[in-house]
Amino acid sequence: MSQEEVAIEAIKHALKALKKRHLVEEGAHAPAYIALSRPIISQGSEWKEKAENLEMELQQCYKAQSRLSEQLVVEVAESRALKASLQEKETALAEMEKEMTQTRDECSRLKADLEEKVKALELVLGEREELKAQLEQLTIRATNAEAENKKLVDRWMLQKMQDAERLNEANALYEDMIERLKASGLEKLAREQVDGIVRRSEEGAEFFSESTVPSVCKHRINAHEGGCASIMFENSSGRLISGGQDRSIKLWDSTTGSLSQSLFGCLGSVLDLAITHDNRSIIAASSSNNLFVWDVNSGRVRHTLTGHTDKVCAVDVSKVSSRHVVSAAYDRTIKVWDLQKGFCTNTIMFHSNCNALCFSTDGLTICSGHVDGNLRLWDIQTGKLLSEVAAHSLAITSVSLSRNGNVVLTSSRDNSHNLFDIRSLEVCGTFRTTGSRVASNWSRSCISPDDNQIAAGSADGSIYIWSISKGDIVSTLKEHTAPVLCCAWSGLGKPLASTDKNGVVCTWT
Amino acid sequence: MEAQKYVWEGAIPLQIHLHESQVTALPPPPPALILAPRIGYMPLLASLIKPYFSSTLPPGVDTIWFDYNGIPLKWYVPTGVLFDLLCPEPERPWNITVHFRGYPGNVLIPCEGEDSVKWSFINSLKEAAYIMNGNCKNVMNMSQSDQSELWNSVMNGNLEAYQRVSSKLKLATFDDEYRTLCSQKSQQSFGETDLTAQVNTGRVPIRLYVLSIREDFDDLDEMPRIDCWEKISYINRPVEIHQEDTCFTLHDALKTLLPELFSDESLTNVKLGGVDFQDAVRNPNEDVSSDKVVEDHGKNAHKHPEAGHISSGGEIKLIRIQGIEPKLEIPFSWVANNLINPDYFLHICVYVKVAQ
Repeated sequence: MSQEEVAIEAIKHALKALKKRHLVEEGAHAPAYIALSRPIISQGSEWKEKAENLEMELQQCYKAQSRLSEQLVVEVAESRALKASLQEKETALAEMEKEMTQTRDECSRLKADLEEKVKALELVLGEREELKAQLEQLTIRATNAEAENKKLVDRWMLQKMQDAERLNEANALYEDMIERLKASGLEKLAREQVDGIVRRSEEGAEFFSESTVPSVCKHRINAHEGGCASIMFENSSGRLISGGQDRSIKLWDSTTGSLSQSLFGCLGSVLDLAITHDNRSIIAASSSNNLFVWDVNSGRVRHTLTGHTDKVCAVDVSKVSSRHVVSAAYDRTIKVWDLQKGFCTNTIMFHSNCNALCFSTDGLTICSGHVDGNLRLWDIQTGKLLSEVAAHSLAITSVSLSRNGNVVLTSSRDNSHNLFDIRSLEVCGTFRTTGSRVASNWSRSCISPDDNQIAAGSADGSIYIWSISKGDIVSTLKEHTAPVLCCAWSGLGKPLASTDKNGVVCTWT
Repeated sequence: MEAQKYVWEGAIPLQIHLHESQVTALPPPPPALILAPRIGYMPLLASLIKPYFSSTLPPGVDTIWFDYNGIPLKWYVPTGVLFDLLCPEPERPWNITVHFRGYPGNVLIPCEGEDSVKWSFINSLKEAAYIMNGNCKNVMNMSQSDQSELWNSVMNGNLEAYQRVSSKLKLATFDDEYRTLCSQKSQQSFGETDLTAQVNTGRVPIRLYVLSIREDFDDLDEMPRIDCWEKISYINRPVEIHQEDTCFTLHDALKTLLPELFSDESLTNVKLGGVDFQDAVRNPNEDVSSDKVVEDHGKNAHKHPEAGHISSGGEIKLIRIQGIEPKLEIPFSWVANNLINPDYFLHICVYVKVAQ
């Protein structure tokens, strides 16, 4: 056999074997197995189906049951709620009925009340009508009464007014009469005064004496060694007081020309003098920066006023009280002293030195003349500058008050003398002449007691006298050989006294 | 092809007994009679078996496994192969015992049901493709639907469906002149055109099961019972068919696979007869790893390299393929084309008597 044939044989054999196997295995057994398994399978599936169906039914039943039970619950709850509400309603109803019966009772009661009230009301209405009528009547009466009242009042007012007028007339007449009486009285008085008789024996008579024009030198006294800078008369007397370079103050009798008293104690040359209005104390301004107060009767120094730091060149005392002294020094101060207290009560400082000063008549104001040529008024209590006026172009050397206290005479280095009204500080008159030269910074001039004449010394030793009313020189007095430093007029009208640089004092009548 | 039809339709009648430890109802349930397809696998029968025994099972999770005469059956081996291997004298119906509990994890690898079997099948397919083509791209690129269709066709024994899908895989066949000679219905494509399959050298994937028996026996029913897997060695080695060899027989193939058993090389000599060989050392060869893809080109993938050697001095008593005992002169190419399993593997059972 060829290989191929062998192979084919083998293959055929294999196929046969497969067939045989088939017959033996599945061929034989398959039908039986299938038959056997079918019922089981089918059964199984049948059972499965049945089971599934039943399960579904059961589920549905459960669902239905749950739904029903829910419904049931809801229904039960509703019914309970309804029962409860029904119960409530019944109770409410019962209550309502009760209330109703109550209200009915009330209603009937109210009705009865109402009827009563109505009756009462009618009664009241009737009364009201009556009252109204009464009211009307009364109002009418009232208005009438008011009208009458008014009329009466008017008449009364009229009467009063008439009375008042009559009174006024009467008053006016009375006043008129009084006035006329006054006026006639004044006229009478005036006539009396104008034609007054002045009796010499009466006090104040000297005010009316006329001063003579001095022309003759009565006495010539060598008063002081070295010069006499200051001279003055006692108030209303002829006693002369002089202070000089020799540190002494001498009192002279001007009628005899003899020395009556000397006062010592001054430490420097006397630059100015003042005397109290009662003639008891003399105050001297000293070049030793002090002021000395002497008691005239005892001749002793009572006070020493210290405080100035330079020479004291002017002093004045109040004409009212002998208490206040005012001094000016070259330390640019003006000091006000109280003699009772014994010290300076006020210090006025001013940039321009004061050369001369004087009190006003009421003792409250000071006039001061300064180096700058201005005249100034000061209140001594406050120390305030009241007013000032440019009196001269050069330094003022003398300030003196007139007898009546209204005008003040100022002299100045510019060789002129002015009269000022003390209230208005206006120039009343100016006096100068050729040849009249003011000798020093402290040359003093004076006014006559009758306020009509001015006496002023000159550097050439002569004294010029002007008349205020005439405004002109009325006399020239020549006696001194040295420049005249100070002039003073007695309060009695005469004499006139003057001093010069040599210390010679002359009296003139 | 006729032979293929027979192969696909082949089924083994099983008589399945529930193990007494699993019986909870009296009387014990009768055995289930099931027809198991030869090309199928044991775990796939679970759905058929469960209805018979579900009422009597104890409560709990079921893990199904089978045993024959105490030997747990490996689930990744096709049913037909198991039957051919373990029943020297075919027992029809085959009495096996089913268990639902107590899975012997030390003997069998875990099986999680149909999916495990499916993956095992696909892996074998990849292995076969690799052996035949040198790569398993065609298997891996199979679409999901194709895969499931293929598997379903195997599960249901649907040859037409299988041929439809497997033709797309373009796995090589072996030129076989005898195809036309042996069947009237020729020109029926065995699945693919010859154009693509013209390989000069074809490699046939083979799984060889060798049962070694010590005792001597003349008749198969006298064979002592197989009681453990240790007696069975497993060889996973492809056989190369050269095109020039017009006549490469089964005998030649076996010679390449088991050279030790063929010391004198005459075709006629190697009929089942008693040839004495030397003593052998048997190496137990256990787990068949079907998941392992062949990496070495042309090499055989053995789990235990040394296990491939059967003892020299043995006598082949029996060769069984698909339940039949083909002649040794049968052309191997015919065998390779017609008697392969759906996973493109040729499973051969060999009984060898080893001299003591």
